[in-house]
Amino acid sequence: MRIIKLNAINSTNTFLKQLSVQETVVDYTVVQTNYQTNGRGQMGTSWSSNTGENLMFSVFKDVSFLGFDQHFYISITVALAIIKTLKAHEISKLSIKWPNDILSENKKICGILIENSIKKNKFKDSIIGIGINVNQTNFENLPQASSLKKLTGKVFDIEELLIDLIENLKHYFLILENRNFEELKSTYEKYLFRKKKPSTFQDIEGNMFSGIIQSVSQNGNLQVLLEDAVLKEYNLKEIKLLY
Amino acid sequence: MDLKDIQNLIKFVAKSGASEVKLETDDVKITIKTGGDDKETQTIVQQIPMGAMAPAPVAAAPQPVAAAVPAQPVAEEDNSKYITIKSPIIGTLYRKPSPDKPVFVEVGQTIKEGDVLCIIEAMKLFNEIESEVSGKIVKVLVDDASPVEFDQPLFLVDPS
Repeated sequence: MRIIKLNAINSTNTFLKQLSVQETVVDYTVVQTNYQTNGRGQMGTSWSSNTGENLMFSVFKDVSFLGFDQHFYISITVALAIIKTLKAHEISKLSIKWPNDILSENKKICGILIENSIKKNKFKDSIIGIGINVNQTNFENLPQASSLKKLTGKVFDIEELLIDLIENLKHYFLILENRNFEELKSTYEKYLFRKKKPSTFQDIEGNMFSGIIQSVSQNGNLQVLLEDAVLKEYNLKEIKLLY
Repeated sequence: MDLKDIQNLIKFVAKSGASEVKLETDDVKITIKTGGDDKETQTIVQQIPMGAMAPAPVAAAPQPVAAAVPAQPVAEEDNSKYITIKSPIIGTLYRKPSPDKPVFVEVGQTIKEGDVLCIIEAMKLFNEIESEVSGKIVKVLVDDASPVEFDQPLFLVDPS
């Protein structure tokens, strides 16, 4: 396994992307840093972290075997690998807040940014950026954030977490390459945050309504049972879970 | 069929989610159309550019014509020589890598195969769409941060 370690970098995803353009990069090539100067979250949001306290890396994976209608399975695969890793390190009450936030005891401890490249209507590769709050304990103004240390009181070995996580990514990507979609989806649904519990949602116009999360569809839409026993599907833009 | 039956029927149709039900017996003919609040969630405003095409470079170099061919009809509105790049997936299209960055491509820009044209986000997966062709961007058919459908035309490229 190739691991490129950098002291400070603007963004590991950006670095790995550029590297993959310049040279042939093999699967599970990792770019890890202890400090990101310009960590990116979803579309312009930022990801910040104290130096050396957290696990931040990007990993390269060829996903050309996947069809377009299966893109959500990349998210599922990554989420499950993280869950399995954290579980092995005795992090409790793990759940996946749809579509891909990893929570422990209802606090966000992990961020994922997946960037795929598409050419000739086919997937080429995926650059998977993962940030896990490990030993940082101070989260000013971020009431919903936590870290492994904050949750358990223990200090974690960041390198060990990385090696375990890569192994688990290999494990779940193998299941994906073997096209065991049902297995991945049902495991994902097992960890779905607030599944089968009455929850409050907000729709695109800001209206609040209640419903019960049932499952996800093949393309990643959230399936919610509404008050009048109607099962409705929502995409990411249409619904927000309030918690 | 009395009034009560009809009322029940209306309630039933409204609950069923059907948008229209027609019922015809010997003496009555009923058509129930539901208001369909939910139906109107589809608001895909797709702009189909007509007319105002960017002027194509029609600087046809004087060619050494062999035979005395009578003046050929000059190309009218000829889009056929352009390649339309379409959306491979449903999602939200972004023309910039992040809000404070410049757009990936602009009209008039020369692109080569493999260049990133835009990002289409679907379920928090960010998909960089690479060009399959080399050429010049003639027209951008979508706005930044707008929803796109499968197969929706995104860019017109002049491959010449």
